[in-house]
Amino acid sequence: MGYRCVNCKQPVEIDYEYRGVRCPYCGHRILVKERPVHIKRVPAE
Amino acid sequence: MNVEIVELDDRKAKFVLSGVTHAFANSLRRGMLAEIPTLAIDYVNIYDNTSVLFDEQLALRLGLIPLKTDLDLYVLPSECGCDGEGCPQCQVSLTLSVEGPKIAYSTELVSADPSVASAEAVPIVKLAEGQRISLEAIARLGTGHDHAKWQAGIACGYKNVPRITVSEECDACGMCVDACPRDVLVIADETVEVIDERACSLCRLCESVCELDWIKVETYPDSVIFTAESDGSVPITELIIRSVDNIKERATALDEYLGIIDA
Repeated sequence: MGYRCVNCKQPVEIDYEYRGVRCPYCGHRILVKERPVHIKRVPAE
Repeated sequence: MNVEIVELDDRKAKFVLSGVTHAFANSLRRGMLAEIPTLAIDYVNIYDNTSVLFDEQLALRLGLIPLKTDLDLYVLPSECGCDGEGCPQCQVSLTLSVEGPKIAYSTELVSADPSVASAEAVPIVKLAEGQRISLEAIARLGTGHDHAKWQAGIACGYKNVPRITVSEECDACGMCVDACPRDVLVIADETVEVIDERACSLCRLCESVCELDWIKVETYPDSVIFTAESDGSVPITELIIRSVDNIKERATALDEYLGIIDA
């Protein structure tokens, strides 16, 4: 699962063995999930 | 049956139906609400959505947008030759590609068929700087039976036609005039006069304040005041006519079935 740092906008891979979630570039701790590239079909109801 | 049109424009109609049963008026109302097909967005292919709304919320909002529908151009997916798989006869594609900062409106949906467009500018979502939406919406015909998004008629209803009679013995004390919340009654020439009988809501407050029972509020048994409104997808006149045609078709079908049972 790909994430992106909301501070420096860099793509980040989370190392689950490391105890905390942190951007390796800027140290920011808020990461957002990247939207998958496939097209999502949603029923309008 | 007699029809007297009281008010008529593209979206709203008010008329008095005389010489009909309440059952007929109710079937007309139900036909307008649930039987007349309209186009509405059925599903959405979302390419990108960085707005504050979830994909599902965005799709629901798109589904509820009224789309102008030419009912002669499209058929219901269940009746289409493609067996509902989707073809230009039973579905139309609309695309939306917008980027903030702005408010995305339904009029920004670009349709593959120019005759299909949003009936009015409905705000979809407010986009902040850098937020964008890119999607393809597929609109199909459907009826109000399946989902409210396919309901062309809104606020369709009827009420009894009031008949207010004031006794000649009335002393015009004015209590009924004061009690009436819709100002249907006035005092003129020392008598109580009814100025707008059809505006009466049949609350009977005038009757209850008159201790001598000189005023009576009744209804005509075979007349109704019908009010109907369209969501904009179909003109109101077409909606009413198609609803009547629908009653006729269903009555014919019932007649045929009964004929089969008899035979």
